[in-house]
Amino acid sequence: MSQVTVDISDLRVTGNPDDLLITYALGSCIAVIVHDPKKKVGGMIHYMLPLSEIAPEKARERPAMFADTGIPELFRTMYGMGCDKKDLVVKVAGGGALYDDKGLFSIGKRNYTILRKMFWKAGVIIAAEDVGGAKSRTARLWVGDGRCTIASQGAEVDL
Amino acid sequence: MTSIAEILAQVDRLPAFPASAARLSGLLRDERAGAPEVEQVVRPDPSLTASLLRIANSPYFSPRSRPDTVRQAVALLGMKRTFEVAVSAAMAGMVPARLPGYDLDAKSFWLHCVAVAVLSERLARETGASSPDLLFTAGLLHDIGKLAIATFVERASASILVRTRAGMDFVAAEREVLGVDHTEVGARVAERWKLPAPVAWAARWHHHPTEAPPNVDRPLVDLVHAADSLAISLGLGCDAGEMARTVDPGVWRRLGLQVRRMEKVAGESLDAVRGLAATLDAGRENQG
Repeated sequence: MSQVTVDISDLRVTGNPDDLLITYALGSCIAVIVHDPKKKVGGMIHYMLPLSEIAPEKARERPAMFADTGIPELFRTMYGMGCDKKDLVVKVAGGGALYDDKGLFSIGKRNYTILRKMFWKAGVIIAAEDVGGAKSRTARLWVGDGRCTIASQGAEVDL
Repeated sequence: MTSIAEILAQVDRLPAFPASAARLSGLLRDERAGAPEVEQVVRPDPSLTASLLRIANSPYFSPRSRPDTVRQAVALLGMKRTFEVAVSAAMAGMVPARLPGYDLDAKSFWLHCVAVAVLSERLARETGASSPDLLFTAGLLHDIGKLAIATFVERASASILVRTRAGMDFVAAEREVLGVDHTEVGARVAERWKLPAPVAWAARWHHHPTEAPPNVDRPLVDLVHAADSLAISLGLGCDAGEMARTVDPGVWRRLGLQVRRMEKVAGESLDAVRGLAATLDAGRENQG
């Protein structure tokens, strides 16, 4: 089994059933984890910010930094590998927050809100999610069988 | 049971800060000091000289020029900036392989330090106000208290984590369990290493800048707090405390930074953080 690490502001798609996709330290960032059980293809993005309008040049160079440019890129790459939208199992993790009573620092919430809007428009259903809270998460996806886990606060659970 | 005195005594057992870097700190206070004096201090220390020049040549510090000698570096960067480069070089050699208790390896700890230094400066630029003195260094060294307190945090880890997982802020949990936290210890470390006041201020007040006394450079501690919050949020060197830390609402009122502007700074800074961390990491690995 080989491990494929997805860095911050990066996305990876693989059709190798022996691969394990992994991303670390999801704070307010969000991972969208997509699996096609028929084609045995897995994809993961670790995006950092909601909207590319704040830095359009950066978005061209690194689309996976933003939800609005990165998520479509993830799905396009999956389709490019022969995946069918109706077969895809989509999971979401991250979007955490610091203790912030006044909501001054709501990057995690904004990251999640834009994702929900995009999925609603595109008719994508979220099969499972683990979002919010003062947590940092590590997400794993085993491409062969689609098992997905989230590790946080010293425990790892299936998602 | 660990006593506060035992933890504070650990500060004295930390390795000494490189003498040449500490002497540079003295030169900063001397208005007549210039390139020849800096060269005199740095030259006997070949490893510091090499690291200083390597870092001074990084795109972050010298986007347009390429200084070949210490004298050129001082001429191009100025005294204060050269000092900041020298401290980065010195500190890179002092990061321990592991920070027990915080669940951090050297690479993650250092990435966080560099991220806070860079983000502090970029946030300052975004506010449009002039950048506080030694902001980069203050950001880079804001967590030096962790170097001394880490082994005690590890011993008390279960008691601390039970509190953070029940919703308590990590620094508050440190203080409740150990009687002292890494910010108070950090100020002692800055004092012991004879680092300039802004470093001690950031180490002491980066979690609660609103509580800082009036003699402290408030914009400096505000910016380091905002940068630290942003770095943790983005997962740049996240530790055992995860996201259990409190945002000081006074900071945003004083700096006038809304979340969208924070996001802009984050997007524009990621490559700079990674690039500079890689440059500094090279020095850390060579010396370590």
